[in-house]
Amino acid sequence: MRINRIPAWCGAMLALAITCAMDGTAAAQWLSLPLPGTPRAADGKPNLNAPTPHTADGKPDLSGIWRAETMRYNENLLPQGTDAPMLPWAAELYKHRVDTKGYDRPMTFCMPHGVPDAMTVAGLPFKILQTPGETVLLFEEFHKYRQIHTDGRQLPVDPDPAWYGYSVGRWEGETFVVETAGFKEGSWLDNSGHPHTEALRTTERFRRINFGRMDLQVTIDDAKAYSRPWTSDTLHFLLQPDTELLEHLCENNRDLGSLQQFWQGREQAAPPTTGKQ
Amino acid sequence: MRTRLAIVMCVASIAASGRALAHHSFAAEFDESKPVKLTGSVTKVEWANPHIWFFMDVKNQDGSVANWGFEMGGTGQLVRAGWKRDSMKVGDMVTVEARRARDGSNNANAQTVVLARTGQRLFAGSSQGQ
Repeated sequence: MRINRIPAWCGAMLALAITCAMDGTAAAQWLSLPLPGTPRAADGKPNLNAPTPHTADGKPDLSGIWRAETMRYNENLLPQGTDAPMLPWAAELYKHRVDTKGYDRPMTFCMPHGVPDAMTVAGLPFKILQTPGETVLLFEEFHKYRQIHTDGRQLPVDPDPAWYGYSVGRWEGETFVVETAGFKEGSWLDNSGHPHTEALRTTERFRRINFGRMDLQVTIDDAKAYSRPWTSDTLHFLLQPDTELLEHLCENNRDLGSLQQFWQGREQAAPPTTGKQ
Repeated sequence: MRTRLAIVMCVASIAASGRALAHHSFAAEFDESKPVKLTGSVTKVEWANPHIWFFMDVKNQDGSVANWGFEMGGTGQLVRAGWKRDSMKVGDMVTVEARRARDGSNNANAQTVVLARTGQRLFAGSSQGQ
């Protein structure tokens, strides 16, 4: 990663660092640490409207801590007012998940979000680390990570199924295009419960609009669950300046027991008729 | 400090944005149509993820005491909003506005928490967005 340095920042950054050091709590220092490479106004405030940073080889640099602009993408990946072209079994399973308010989604069991919804948890940011041969996503929620290889390798043939699949990335102009395959069945595409099978392939198109904003569109291609490929709404992400990821492990999952007891009791009274055929 | 203020405002805006939860479904566990407002003495604070829980004793009208549990957001959400793990202490008297659990237990999802002694509002957000 190339860090663009502008001498005028130095004074402002030093002033901000001193302010932080005098502020008191360790947590405040940790979370308000002025990060190098952040363009700033004269008052030291991050300039989130500054141009997109680029790496030494001229590619846009996606590195940074990001969060989804809204929880809506996490709730439903599709553009508002549209429906996914689900095959009958998928539509039936989806309806059941909606009817039972998504009580049994994987995260309830401390299992991860999948692709792409691990990125859309607005309250829990993720960090992108972009290096020449690999881009890594570190998800704050549950301390998970995802690797996107950019060293020219091809997607593996017949890999062991994985929650995040296997990802390779390439640049098309200013857009980072990520192809992923080899998914394990079980993750939900979003919290409303759009399902997928092991046949799923995703194509993500990342574009950093400026220093503070990044957009993403995801195409879902799973012929065993959907009658045709479909594309998500444009997902907007906001850079979180001058902060760090914090530990987040699923150590106090008090919700699981009561959710299972309540909803499984109701389902025993009225068994679901869902299931893939 | 502007940066922290920006973070607080950002987290507050997430918290206010709706009843969306990521770790588990808000609607599956709690009932938006069952608000409850209770005052009591804090008996335990579990500062942990994916959700902070705290517990308090509430006196019923007949004089008996019931222990209630309240779910909050994760630790990172509240730390980023400027709160610390000892912002709420055992023995504090607090008033909580919450939404009750569907299972009829004494569990609820806390929306606002106010320290009775000072009127200070504790913790910026509930568990929305987590």
